[in-house]
Amino acid sequence: MKTILGAWMIAAVALAAMVGLCVESSWEVDRAEAEATARLLAKMLNAGRIVIDQHQTLIDDPHKGDKGFTPEVFEKLVIEEFRRQTGINLLSLDDVPVSIVVPPLARELLPALLQAGKEVVRDAQVVINQRGIGYKNFIPATYGSQAAARFSKATNVRLKQTTLDPRNPKNTPDDYETSVLKWLAGRPNAEAYVSELTGGGKTLRVVMPIYYEKACLKCHGEPKGDQDVSGYIKEGGREGDFAGAITVTAPLDIR
Amino acid sequence: MRQGLRKTLASLALFPCAVVFSGCGLLLDAVQLVVPIQTDDLAAICARQTLRVGMGIEPRQPFVFPAIWTDVGSRVTGLDVEIVKEMSAALTAHCGGRSVTPVLHLVHFRDLFVQLNEGKMDLFVSAVNENAPAPNRAGLAYSVPYFYDGGLVMITRQPDLAARVRAQVPPGAGRLVEPAVMRRALAGLTVAVQEGTTAELYAVANLKETRLLLCESLPAAFESQSPPVDVILSKQPLLAYSVNRVRKDWKFISTDAGQPHLLSSENYAVIMAEESYSLRQFINDLLFRLEATGRLDEMRRRWLTEVYAYPRRAAEEGLPFAVEKMVAQHYQGECHVHQAM
Repeated sequence: MKTILGAWMIAAVALAAMVGLCVESSWEVDRAEAEATARLLAKMLNAGRIVIDQHQTLIDDPHKGDKGFTPEVFEKLVIEEFRRQTGINLLSLDDVPVSIVVPPLARELLPALLQAGKEVVRDAQVVINQRGIGYKNFIPATYGSQAAARFSKATNVRLKQTTLDPRNPKNTPDDYETSVLKWLAGRPNAEAYVSELTGGGKTLRVVMPIYYEKACLKCHGEPKGDQDVSGYIKEGGREGDFAGAITVTAPLDIR
Repeated sequence: MRQGLRKTLASLALFPCAVVFSGCGLLLDAVQLVVPIQTDDLAAICARQTLRVGMGIEPRQPFVFPAIWTDVGSRVTGLDVEIVKEMSAALTAHCGGRSVTPVLHLVHFRDLFVQLNEGKMDLFVSAVNENAPAPNRAGLAYSVPYFYDGGLVMITRQPDLAARVRAQVPPGAGRLVEPAVMRRALAGLTVAVQEGTTAELYAVANLKETRLLLCESLPAAFESQSPPVDVILSKQPLLAYSVNRVRKDWKFISTDAGQPHLLSSENYAVIMAEESYSLRQFINDLLFRLEATGRLDEMRRRWLTEVYAYPRRAAEEGLPFAVEKMVAQHYQGECHVHQAM
């Protein structure tokens, strides 16, 4: 009897181990896909921010009414910038080079983020096309906040811009983000990112750092403590300094 | 119950009259004054749960700042916007806690009067002075003032011109200058005003010997090159904001004591349709209360004397506006020479 029980116990443990391995193996696959997707989403949000940054002079031109910075123009520019950064052409995802992996989840979510960005630019047209008004506060940060919020609302993936001392309270980091931001702040500027499973292994969190570029310093640079054009206090940042991060929170059972 | 019976009887009495006499609007107005039988405008706002507010799209800082983009979308801010928020809160309380949301219509200043008359908005507020006599203001009514120091003043870029104007003002005349004095002092100069405002009304009536430029907005007046502008005539708080923060190359034409000469005194009010009796009473009660509690004074101080950047205030406390009601591409417009009739 004892022998039979022992045999059953061994079998049960073995089965549990196998199930565990399978589950682990299954999560591993999902995690890899989710992680690649999260990185691409962060890069696409940043591509939109870069496009806004590159067109800031046009957007803030007080002498021009119709700026021609339409949602369609924006879309084209973001696609180009995203391609430049990742090698992925969003217009023909099936023709992506074999060396570049575009997970199925990314194929679903990248167009959704592109659409959210277009909607932000569409809604901002009345502000952008005002003539006689210079600074309109349509800047990478305010674009990013809105695009991320709209994308997060439409999907199960939460996209956010955050920093240790945010101007927008909605961008305040949570405990996890705070610890990662502090870690990143002490490291040199690099193409690094942090990826971790949280929530008992059911949620993937990816944090991609962003660094100050020259154009950012008009509002975030020196002299530290002065008020910038939008009324916030300048952080005293310098080109290349750690600015904050784009974070992605994705449940692994997203499908 | 009794009120309802009176309304029913008044309606029944009026019905044959409406059938028999076509165009008996005067009778309707008379009955309306005694027993208001039309839909109560406050009740309509409660039922709709929105307060439709017009605002001039041309910036009238610090009362209405230009529309701006924020983390939460497009927003507009300013003293007038803060007053609208107070109205909305008071209406929410009046409507039994049913939230009344302000819906801002940003339209050209000249269209505010037309659209209010067409019933497209419940009221408008844009640093408009009370009781200015003008043909396009027929059928409108004004609240009690919420701002009292809004008279017309002058600015110029030319120090010698300021001295010349000052020399024309009799010694001891004080801040408020007689129109006849201004007529002589500004003779031969190019004076810019914003169309449809009291500055235009004043200039057309009193400055017959100047070349008058009618501009679609204040920024257009600042940028007019052909012909170049000698003097801009506009409301004191608007020009004060401009010369102190934006256009520091322009200066007030002031008394020897350094105070801007006043051409008129103006109080700003909320504008409603003449027949919006209950809404007007409600807004007046609110403004009295805000004045009595010091809240209005605090608002005026926040927007007129504090140092701030409006984009931040727009982000933190601004109101969204109805994008579909806003003109597709606002531009500051042009100036053209006024042709005397």
